[in-house]
Amino acid sequence: MRKTQGGGLKKVAIVTGGAKPDSIGAAVVRGLQEEGMQVVVADLYEAGFGAMKDAHCIRADVADPKAVDAMVAATIAKFGRVDVLVNCVGGSWGITVEDLTAPPPRGFRGLTNCSLDDWRTILGANLDSAFYCCRSAAPHLKKQGGAIVNLASIAARKGIPPGAEGSSGPYAVAKAGVMALTRQLALELGEFGVRANCVAPGVIASGRLAKVLAISGKGKGPEGPLAQIPMGRVGTVEETAALIVALCTDDTSYMTGAMIDINGASYAA
Amino acid sequence: MPLKGLGGKRALVTGAASGIGAAVCERLRDAGVQVFATDIHQSGGLIVADLSDAADVEKLVAAVGTPDFLVNVAGGPVAPSRDNTLPDLPKQSMMLEDINESEWARVLAANLTTAFLVCREFAPRMKARKSGRIINFTSIAARRGSDRVGVHYAAAKGGIIGLTKTLALELGPFGITVNAIAPGFIKTERIAKASWGMPSPEAEKRFVESLPLRRAGEPDDIAGVVAMLCSEAGAYVSGATIDVNGGWYFGP
Repeated sequence: MRKTQGGGLKKVAIVTGGAKPDSIGAAVVRGLQEEGMQVVVADLYEAGFGAMKDAHCIRADVADPKAVDAMVAATIAKFGRVDVLVNCVGGSWGITVEDLTAPPPRGFRGLTNCSLDDWRTILGANLDSAFYCCRSAAPHLKKQGGAIVNLASIAARKGIPPGAEGSSGPYAVAKAGVMALTRQLALELGEFGVRANCVAPGVIASGRLAKVLAISGKGKGPEGPLAQIPMGRVGTVEETAALIVALCTDDTSYMTGAMIDINGASYAA
Repeated sequence: MPLKGLGGKRALVTGAASGIGAAVCERLRDAGVQVFATDIHQSGGLIVADLSDAADVEKLVAAVGTPDFLVNVAGGPVAPSRDNTLPDLPKQSMMLEDINESEWARVLAANLTTAFLVCREFAPRMKARKSGRIINFTSIAARRGSDRVGVHYAAAKGGIIGLTKTLALELGPFGITVNAIAPGFIKTERIAKASWGMPSPEAEKRFVESLPLRRAGEPDDIAGVVAMLCSEAGAYVSGATIDVNGGWYFGP
């Protein structure tokens, strides 16, 4: 049965990367609000803050541990607790102050041809950010129990094939790191009633996918994202968010350290 | 968000007389799903069928029609028969040399053949409608191996994962998702009665306290995950094996 923790007090959720329209994170914010939670959005994308209904938005670069500590402290100062943390910040581009709204870079960036800056930036936004946010929120989550959901990727399962644009080799490595980070947190936080699970999306129709398709021109056809998906369609941000939100409720009360692939049957781990 | 897409749908739940199956029926009914429940064991309101027998499976169609959700819970480490429909579970671990060919075949039939026959009967009907959700039950025994339930059960549940992945590929083009749930230590009444191979209550307590979540699972813990996979949250999840074990074992 579905129950709400917290003895009637409104639960508080932090969602990183929730401010860009058409993102998985934005759909997660709406979903957690429908569950009755107060949502705090941590994002660099200030232009999106005005459209975030009823959410408390904090500008934060989650790849910076000091900014993360300040964001969590501000959440506690305003709402007094943290019950849920969903780490949606990530990607291979559009992840720093400088390139926040830029189109994706052209060409394949694998481990053997990416720049060292690419490596550092991508690991920072995808893996360091999850580590900083979990570490900073953990003492508050432990007080009453709660849930962490981290976003990994199908890239962690099968890698990025040479020639593919829009993603990168460092991204695949960072997301595999996120999976291991989630398992480790499940072990460390389980006794405090804090569950940590991971969602690994395949191709999802986010604003980011639209930008990739706009430059690569591979929407349909044998090289397009649909070709290797048995279900014959890409996923929606809403159904991805619904899964993430379910991992924050008591429907999944006995799940921790689990990896949930959501990819239309394109890769069964 | 309260799970979406459940109200008004139809589900067939197998192995529904007790434990996880019964909890799944209750959870789905609470969400407004019309549930058809079947088991080899007679219990109030259930359709009695031996799902290892294709003729019995075929007879379900008249009662059930085309379900939106097919939840294959039927199975267990001891195979039921028409004479002993809800057998007790053993109090001791089942070792290789104690499993005869007949038990091997019967446990494979109860856990793997049942899922195969039920999928073969209902998947074509879902294909015609271009939608459906199939949820099979594997076990932590297939993920990490087991020192209790026997090689027959672990092998059958490993077979469920292969069946699930293959059906996900085969049925994906028809809008049907196929997933497996791998429960860990779930304390159903039958398992509690058998102490589940634990030599003493203290040993069980030590084991449970070694789990990250520090407790055994309840049938409701599994029923919630079934509801999740039937809802909008499961719409794009297919080919997956979902571990629900309190952190006992991390799958791939």
